[in-house]
Amino acid sequence: MLGKAHWFKRRKYTGWGLVPATWQGWVYLAAAIALIMLTQALPIAENVRITLLFILVFILILDVVDIMRKLPMDERERIHEALAERNALWAILTALIAGIGWQAYISAISKTVQIDPLIITALLVGVAAKAITNLYLDRKN
Amino acid sequence: MKNNIPQLRKKLGITQEDLAEKAGVARQTIIALEQNRYNPSLALAHAITQVLKQKRIEDVFEL
Repeated sequence: MLGKAHWFKRRKYTGWGLVPATWQGWVYLAAAIALIMLTQALPIAENVRITLLFILVFILILDVVDIMRKLPMDERERIHEALAERNALWAILTALIAGIGWQAYISAISKTVQIDPLIITALLVGVAAKAITNLYLDRKN
Repeated sequence: MKNNIPQLRKKLGITQEDLAEKAGVARQTIIALEQNRYNPSLALAHAITQVLKQKRIEDVFEL
């Protein structure tokens, strides 16, 4: 879309997404930040400004996803990424399940339901993603 | 799995970067292979064997 894959590399040690690998990548990042700041400084109605911010961030996220899809990855890097993502998922699952456990405990004590439906939804989405991936992989190879 | 990639590569006078590019992998993967820290797939072993101008995979890799 806007950025080129060879301007960036995958973020490995500080979360997910991209980090600039060339000066063009840094220019892209600076331009994106400048554009967002510029639109936020415009003398326009607040709801228009917020809408503009969401549109820009949405376009940026789409572009990052597109760049990440195009970044080359060999078999060793693919294995490393798969293992790192699996471990990250296990850590997230542990935190979510601990959260549900805590909320269930509070619910039982206070005799009111205080379980966050967003956590349940996140777990169900994860279950669906795993099932779909396994179905796809079983058919593919 | 052991290999003699460094010797064959030096014999041909090519760098790790050249080998990586011709085999379609990152230089880090070639470094890991040369240090016997990574076991390649059959496809990668085949590609490296070809780049190093060897006839059989066993000429480059051994168990």
